[in-house]
Amino acid sequence: MLNRRGLLKAAGAGAVLASAGLSLTGCGRSAGGPDGDLRVVLANHVWTTAIRKRIPEFSDLARRRVLVSTMTADQLSSTYNVKLNASAPDVDVMMYRPLQEQLLFARNGWLADLTDRVAAQPGYDWADFQPASRERTTVAGKVFGVPVVTERPTLYYRRDLVPDGRPPATLAEMFETAARLHNPAAGLHGFVGRGQRAAAVSMFSSYLYSFGGAFTVDQRSGVGTPEAIAAYQYYGRLLREAGPIGATNMSLEQITPIFAQGKAVFAIDADAVYRNFIDPATSLVGDRTGFGAFPAGPAGSRPFNVPSWGLTINAFSERRDAAWEFIRWATSPEMVLALQAEGVPGARLSAWRDRAALAKFPPDLAASMTAGIQTGVGADRPDVVQVGRARDIVGRPLVASILGADVVAAAVDASQQLDAFLVRDARQRKI
Amino acid sequence: MTATLPKSAAAPGTAARGRTRRAGARMSTGRLVGIVAVAVVFTAPLVWMVLAAFKTNVQIGNPAEAVVFTPTLRNFGTVFEQGVFLPAMWNSVVVGVVSTALSAVLAVPAAWAIGRFAMQRFGNWVLIARIIPAVSLLVPWYYLFAQLELVGGYTVLVLSHMFVSVPLITWIMIGFFAGLPVELEEAGRVDGLSAFGAFLRISLPLATAGTATACVLAAVFSWNNFMFALILSGENTKTLPVALFNFISYASVDWGGLMAAATLMSVPVVAAAVFGQKYLVAGLTAGATKG
Amino acid sequence: MAATTLRQEQRRLKWAMLSPALLFILAMIAFPLLYTAYLSTTDAFGAVNAHRSFLGLTNFSDALSDTRRFWPAVARTAVFTVAAVALELGFGLAVAMLLRRPFGGMRWVRTVLMVPLLATPVAVGVLWLLILDPTVGIANHLLGLVGIPPQPFLGSVAESLPTLILIDVWQWTPMMTLLLLAGLSTLPEEPEEAALIDGASGWQRFRLVTVPMLMPVIITSLVLRSVDALKTFDLIYATKGPGGGSSNEAETLNVYAYGLTFDYQEYGLAASVLVLFTVFIVLIVIALRRRTAKDQP
Repeated sequence: MLNRRGLLKAAGAGAVLASAGLSLTGCGRSAGGPDGDLRVVLANHVWTTAIRKRIPEFSDLARRRVLVSTMTADQLSSTYNVKLNASAPDVDVMMYRPLQEQLLFARNGWLADLTDRVAAQPGYDWADFQPASRERTTVAGKVFGVPVVTERPTLYYRRDLVPDGRPPATLAEMFETAARLHNPAAGLHGFVGRGQRAAAVSMFSSYLYSFGGAFTVDQRSGVGTPEAIAAYQYYGRLLREAGPIGATNMSLEQITPIFAQGKAVFAIDADAVYRNFIDPATSLVGDRTGFGAFPAGPAGSRPFNVPSWGLTINAFSERRDAAWEFIRWATSPEMVLALQAEGVPGARLSAWRDRAALAKFPPDLAASMTAGIQTGVGADRPDVVQVGRARDIVGRPLVASILGADVVAAAVDASQQLDAFLVRDARQRKI
Repeated sequence: MTATLPKSAAAPGTAARGRTRRAGARMSTGRLVGIVAVAVVFTAPLVWMVLAAFKTNVQIGNPAEAVVFTPTLRNFGTVFEQGVFLPAMWNSVVVGVVSTALSAVLAVPAAWAIGRFAMQRFGNWVLIARIIPAVSLLVPWYYLFAQLELVGGYTVLVLSHMFVSVPLITWIMIGFFAGLPVELEEAGRVDGLSAFGAFLRISLPLATAGTATACVLAAVFSWNNFMFALILSGENTKTLPVALFNFISYASVDWGGLMAAATLMSVPVVAAAVFGQKYLVAGLTAGATKG
Repeated sequence: MAATTLRQEQRRLKWAMLSPALLFILAMIAFPLLYTAYLSTTDAFGAVNAHRSFLGLTNFSDALSDTRRFWPAVARTAVFTVAAVALELGFGLAVAMLLRRPFGGMRWVRTVLMVPLLATPVAVGVLWLLILDPTVGIANHLLGLVGIPPQPFLGSVAESLPTLILIDVWQWTPMMTLLLLAGLSTLPEEPEEAALIDGASGWQRFRLVTVPMLMPVIITSLVLRSVDALKTFDLIYATKGPGGGSSNEAETLNVYAYGLTFDYQEYGLAASVLVLFTVFIVLIVIALRRRTAKDQP
């Protein structure tokens, strides 16, 4: 008798059992096996644009089809999160951010161990990679990724507006010039920089270091120190008094058009994206834009010099050998040199030493980059597993400063939170 | 409500005459102004988007060149050059049409059952599907579908879109079916129709306006669905919204390319809407003269 | 005798008609629901498969006592939803009444009306981000032409949520309009004609005749739109970024849960927030349905 209650019970139980059963049987899913197509997931980036053209070469060499997916950094993170949590085998080579995801992914066992692979081939020359970059992709002595792009902040400035056409050498000088030239009514801002908390922390790190501060000192919080507070106050004041309105919602995407429209005197952001500032298709002031080294603070000029992106292999991939072949090809000394000559700053010392490649960058940019490599600090965010939360904690005084609120109180509060956080995070670090 | 309708059932002619008389009358100025204002408010940003599709990034950031500028077709070139856009559009069409059609087949009868027999609790159950935030679905679904080896194919995309469309169509149609008087179906039963026949031949045609609107909305939601496509689609089944994001790169948004892609994305749907208006309007006038 | 067979036939039919949709939905959500409920009782972090301990209801008490992020998110969700949906219903009804009677070019206006719906929500967010950019956007340019100083819009802590509400209203009023138009088209003419003959004014006819008859459609549209508005994500994420902005000024519950999952990888806490969020929505829907149940025919 088709009775309502009976049907309901049956339907409910059936649905639950079916779903549970299906999830438990694990009917051996595969994504093509060891000879299948190689699946490469990359971020939208200048490096990706440069390497994409060359992938058919690799396809021919390896006699294997390569399927490339590209997406924004945020989407990449979510995709990895979902797929790796489900132990997906349908991703082989992954482009990732060593500073954001390295510790977390390594801890989760999601990355293949490349230690033997990078040492195996003569001619690959693992030691040729910048030591700081290599360190970033190595966890507990195991190599988990190969850096492909390095970045440093550089000073973009308007040669036609600054005194003597020279870039400021110190942060104090930059502030003074920016405040003086700041004239929003006439459409000119002294300075544009990131103010959106999530994006600004990494750029802010250079200011922090140049004031003599650090995110963490001996596994305890460093953001409550006088140096850190001075850095917070400087950056906030810079954006408040010489920056555009709405700074706390600005990231690189908003900064570039403002500078490119000729509405700013100074901008400080990643050097890898310099093309957007000088390419006539995207910039009105390309011919008047100069590049300078990161201005010096009380503790000198200490920008970050980090491997912003790297390549790694999915631990659940069924084609790890082929994936390694791809990485080896894409990061070989010859390839990195070729890409560097196209304007993509890589991680190999040999490429940086090559005069011809260096000459492809505008000369003042090349000088700024080289200076950054020499004096640079190897991290642009707290060195923890849960980077997201740490970033938000240390970013709060920064936002308070930009908004003109009490920085000292915010920094002390953040410092306490960070201390508590670091204790919890340390427990998560085991591999 | 039940009291008034038999009256109208007896006099379809009067209704039709009344309507024609009003359609011929001149529109008041107030109404005209209102309609124009509505049209402007809802299209202005999109007009701006279409204009931006023809500008370089420099021009887009320059408010002075908002309306008067030298157009370029570069952006459309960028959109097509990677050979991703057209296949993505095809995928969006396939998934959209199939998921909407299947959803309608499931949802419309369910809505009739709920609305006609006042099964409130099931109406709420259907809505639960819409209430659940997508975040809690992503990992379990991915895991489940990966086990079934369905990830990356059309099946999983259609299923996930149906999950959005079935509650939507059901929910919209419940109101329409609930508003239909029972007497009409009973009249059909007296004439010898089965219960299902009464649904098919009497209630369903009367609810055409609702069905058409619900399906259009479901198709639109499917067209724009981003999150499921991002996670569940494969290289060959990537849909348009995912392809759209190729223009948001690391350094800066290629605004021109993005606007061009967004414009192109909207074209087929606008065309379908203009075309489909015939059915919507037909449905509306049929509804009006139902009596 | 005949009546009993009819009722049996109807009962069988209604279950047959309802089951496919119901079973489909149950099959799709059973696993995720159970899984999320399970996760919410653990301290899952980093990877869902990693070692985790059972916490009972600790996550829930943590969330409910969190006045830094959780309760402000609840408040913002409530404000956003109520404001947006009320405006969308009001404007939607007004526009539907405006477009109700046929006129020349009706088809074009109706198509035009649909266009904001057609653009992907994420693209809409990015579009408005550009239009409202405080420095290079056209909105401030236009305001400047009439002498109003540049506004930060989405760049300001205080103005963000209202701006987002207005963008949402712009995007979704057309959906309400379309639903209400379809509803209006199925209404019989006679009651309104009768009221007209009785001397009722336009407003009285609207309030006392049209709206009550339209109520079922108004209610379903209201509930539908409310559920979607509560979950708004694409718009906020595209314009304010992770965490709903630098001071979490636009962080609603859905945005918070997303951030906990993908930004912080705190799956246990995220699951508990999602469970609470779902429960809130269910309670709201039940409340809405109960209050308007008497309007159902």
